[in-house]
Amino acid sequence: MSGGTLNLFIGLAMGLNLLALGSSRLPSLIRAVSLQGVLLGVMPLLLEHDTFDWRVVLVALATMVGKGLVIPGLLRRAMRAANVEREMAPFISYVPSLLLGAGGTIAAVALARGLPLLPEHAGTLLVPGAIASMLTGFILLIGRAKAISQVCGYLILENGIYLFGLLLIHSTPLLVESGILLDVTVGVFVIGIIVDRIQRAFDSLDTRKLTTLRE
Amino acid sequence: MNLILAVILRLAVWLLLAPLLPGIINKVKAWVAGRRGPPVLQLYYDLAKLWRKGVVLSTLASPGFIAGPAVAWVALLGAAMLMPLGPGGTALSFRGDVLLLIYLLALARFCTAWAAMETGSAFEGMGAAREVSYAVLAEAAIVTAVLSLSVQTGSVSLVTMLSPSAGAGAVLLAAGLFTVLLAENCRVPFDDPNTHLELTMIHEVMVLDHSGPPLAAILHGASVKLLLFAVLLIQAVLPLGALSAPAAAGALVAGVLAVTVGVGLVESWLARLAFRRVPLLLTTAFLLCLFALLVAWKGGAK
Amino acid sequence: MPGPLLLFAFAALVTGIVVGVRMSRLWLALTVAGTTAGFGAALMVLLGAADWEWRSGFSLGDELVHLRLDGVSALFLALLCVVGGAGAVYAREYWPEKHYPASAPRGRVWWSALVLSMGLVLTVSNGLHFLIVWELFAICAFFLITLDRQRREVRAAGWLYLAASHAGTMALFAFFSLLAARTGSWDLPGPMRERADLSSLFWLVLAGFGVKAGVFPLHIWLPSAHANAPSHVSAIMSGVAIKMGIYGIVRFSGWLPVPAAAGWVVIGLGATSALLGIAFAFAQNDFKRLLAYCSVENIGIILVGLGAALLALTHGDAVWGRLALAGALLHVWSHGAFKALLFFGAGSVLHATGTREMSRLGGLWRTMPWTAGLFALGSLAVSGLPPLNGFVSEWLVYLGLFDAVTSKGPSAWAALPAAIMLAMAGAMAMASFAKASAMIFLGAPRTQAAAHAHECGMGMRAPMLMLAGVCVGIGLAPILFWPAIRRAAGSWCPGWGAEETPAPLVALGSVHVALAVLILAAAAWLWRKAHTNGLRRGMTWDCGYATPYARMQYVSASFAGIVSGWFRWILQPERKIRRPRGHFPEEALRLERVPETVLERIIGPVSAAIMRVSTTVRQLQHGRLQFYILYVVAGLIALGVLVLLGGAP
Repeated sequence: MSGGTLNLFIGLAMGLNLLALGSSRLPSLIRAVSLQGVLLGVMPLLLEHDTFDWRVVLVALATMVGKGLVIPGLLRRAMRAANVEREMAPFISYVPSLLLGAGGTIAAVALARGLPLLPEHAGTLLVPGAIASMLTGFILLIGRAKAISQVCGYLILENGIYLFGLLLIHSTPLLVESGILLDVTVGVFVIGIIVDRIQRAFDSLDTRKLTTLRE
Repeated sequence: MNLILAVILRLAVWLLLAPLLPGIINKVKAWVAGRRGPPVLQLYYDLAKLWRKGVVLSTLASPGFIAGPAVAWVALLGAAMLMPLGPGGTALSFRGDVLLLIYLLALARFCTAWAAMETGSAFEGMGAAREVSYAVLAEAAIVTAVLSLSVQTGSVSLVTMLSPSAGAGAVLLAAGLFTVLLAENCRVPFDDPNTHLELTMIHEVMVLDHSGPPLAAILHGASVKLLLFAVLLIQAVLPLGALSAPAAAGALVAGVLAVTVGVGLVESWLARLAFRRVPLLLTTAFLLCLFALLVAWKGGAK
Repeated sequence: MPGPLLLFAFAALVTGIVVGVRMSRLWLALTVAGTTAGFGAALMVLLGAADWEWRSGFSLGDELVHLRLDGVSALFLALLCVVGGAGAVYAREYWPEKHYPASAPRGRVWWSALVLSMGLVLTVSNGLHFLIVWELFAICAFFLITLDRQRREVRAAGWLYLAASHAGTMALFAFFSLLAARTGSWDLPGPMRERADLSSLFWLVLAGFGVKAGVFPLHIWLPSAHANAPSHVSAIMSGVAIKMGIYGIVRFSGWLPVPAAAGWVVIGLGATSALLGIAFAFAQNDFKRLLAYCSVENIGIILVGLGAALLALTHGDAVWGRLALAGALLHVWSHGAFKALLFFGAGSVLHATGTREMSRLGGLWRTMPWTAGLFALGSLAVSGLPPLNGFVSEWLVYLGLFDAVTSKGPSAWAALPAAIMLAMAGAMAMASFAKASAMIFLGAPRTQAAAHAHECGMGMRAPMLMLAGVCVGIGLAPILFWPAIRRAAGSWCPGWGAEETPAPLVALGSVHVALAVLILAAAAWLWRKAHTNGLRRGMTWDCGYATPYARMQYVSASFAGIVSGWFRWILQPERKIRRPRGHFPEEALRLERVPETVLERIIGPVSAAIMRVSTTVRQLQHGRLQFYILYVVAGLIALGVLVLLGGAP
């Protein structure tokens, strides 16, 4: 029962990946990322547990708040501060990146069938979802010019790693996941500061302009 | 004898009911905007008026200018005759009839584009270019949707392939087909049928120079096409075969009405997309159908 | 009984070669008689049960002459004879003695030679003889393409064709010699599917014949050759000559075992050719180049069908394979008929206006109603629209692909993308031909030449009418053509010929007839209704613009702009834009040209680089003896070092 719901959630998360790839407006990109964060936060609760584990609930709550509210909120603030709304000229434009992402998702589903998985994970979409999210993150990181989109790409990449982490939720302490979350938060802070600096220095958020600093 | 009767009855349904849909859409739009709006039967009045009117023909136009709408109208009605109507089944069914249906729509498109190019007007050339170009992506989406139905049921004939299974696949397919419906029938967000700026039109700008009975044929054909896509969408998504005949008929009618109201609501709430964004939306529709196909594939393998 | 007919056809064509220079009437009569006889022979084989085979006692090059006409070759022979005869009739008015006193007689001779050599390609059953007649065919085609050899671009197109053709022939030389070496004889005895060791030879077949067929990356010669040849030559080149490549692939994939990957590769090449070929076609401004690229698309459709059949053969799912193969074989006929029709129509426009650029035409329907109507019919057929022949064959291919997908076997993964790409290619073909026929025939004439065009005479109209009849015939009564297709499929794979007429095909045929009747009736009704209501002629409304001007109309590049934007990555259009400036702009300019990307962006630079390297290396050869001795010594030392280092145990 809960396996079906879990798959539905992962499927939705994969759909959000594609939405993120296809959206040119930064607010909708951030909204997709935050919604994906909330979905990911619910997932630990849906995994089958023999006993009630308060740590699982804690992590779920922390993820939902962190990925769904705090980080997107910070990104929105950065966006407003930098006064950008739109990704103007991406390196990989939207239709190709959408097709790449869809191809990657299909390939991930096909690939996951070939992997040696535990029988309890074989039926779920956890692994394909993880691979697809990481791929989406990479496409965004490579294909977008604005720093905020790249941060979103980084977050989606991290979401993929989180999905992989869910496979180990029984065997490893959730500290690992919390550590990752912490990393990301710190990363976002750092990037937020950098974004601000870039904006002040160059009057633009286009990372292409950073190439003048290569010397 | 029975066959002829069935064909005539079916033809009457398509001919008479199709112009209702644009009326409903306009009523919904008026209702959302808080206006009274034109009567639901407005298109019938328009058609009757146009049918009696004379024709102004551009000096540049060949007889193809009038033949084009006629051929398109026959093609659209032919496509409609292939489409099963819920419990009513179909007048004619054979393996691969679904491909004939898709290509009849293409024939109608060719003839409309041909008639538009007859006048030598730059506006109409623009509309025709857009129509045939966006059709490339729409066609890919439709064929993918048909393939997904085909995979689900293992059949290539409309009567048997329109018995879908519920689930994630149906939702994806519904979303994909609805987007294709909007694109193929030139509704918002692809095209705005009510705009007054010719530069931003697709379908309306193609028929700028038509008048009288040929224009009536074009308008009626467009309404048949809308009804056709609504019926296809409902039958592709709702498992009507599992219901008893009256219930299925009721569900079909209710579904078509729901789709029509949906189109009206979309038109009230959304704005027309910039043209450079249209391929993105059509690609999304294609991908939705593709994922529906893969879900159907996996569902069947279990 | 096919024997005497073929002998007669042979004799008539050979006599045609001899008398063609002087006696044009006799030549025409001989060519028409010869092709009719050949057509009769092909029909007898197709409708009868037995193949025709003749092992003679004569030898040529130490090999006994061995001729054979089976279902597959008879199918292609029938097409050759139809287009060969029609083209001969057409050429008499299109390329008359009066205007071309030097090249018209030459054209007649080479025409007979081309038809004869292609007929021989289809009948010889010996590897060595095949190579000889194949070469003969290539050379005849070269001389026909360069009939108008005063023009530089014609000569360039001819040389490019000859070079590409020989690159393909090289692969065929390798193929036939290896085949002869492995079987011990040049003779081609027929099916040898059990010889598994021969399967790798298929790649040579695909490369060698693929060049002739114009499969996508190997199509480089095709657009310029078809565009620059006289139109009756373009018609036979596009309708029949490139089918010889298809014939080769069909023939040897039927006789020899194929590797397991063959189906995948062929279907992939086919789908790519279909999609990219038509993308290039849509972007063209020269209508003959558009038709040429469209041939690449149609070759792709044929290969998709053939590839599906090969997949079915390897995976043992024969049912859908038969449908796809039947579709591919029928498309050979369909494409031959409508493409020859379209090239004849294009020739008629070229004859009347002297330009191949669509942006300089327009409004020709008024002066050329017959050509306009026939070209429109051809456009509908080539776009695969019902109720014409293009739809019937594409429908069969689609059915095969759909069945392959629903079978959910491994081949479904090839059929699925192929079906989607075919659908996109179909929509783009429709767009391309809506553009072509609209730009040429509709709207207002864009230049004086277009305004003063004239209709072609009966000599050019009759062949077009005949081919249009074939298009309509296959569309309305596909069942009449089914026995021939079944026979050819049976020769390709024994056991696949037993199929009775599929019931859906009967249904499709009757729907097509009903559709045709209704279309005519509705058009007539609406026409009458418009007239009884009162018909007024006025200026194009165009949103009230008062002084319309012919050059305001959409032109071909603007019509194709959206789609060529999507395919910019491969089309690589070259643009030259001068935007209007100021409040009263004096001039503005926008030129666009779509290059042959594979040729100009890949093969051109690579050959230029090779040339550069070669020129550098060539400096070593300067004629000074002392240095040559130095080279020898250096070479010896290098060899010695190599032996010392590598030879030590």
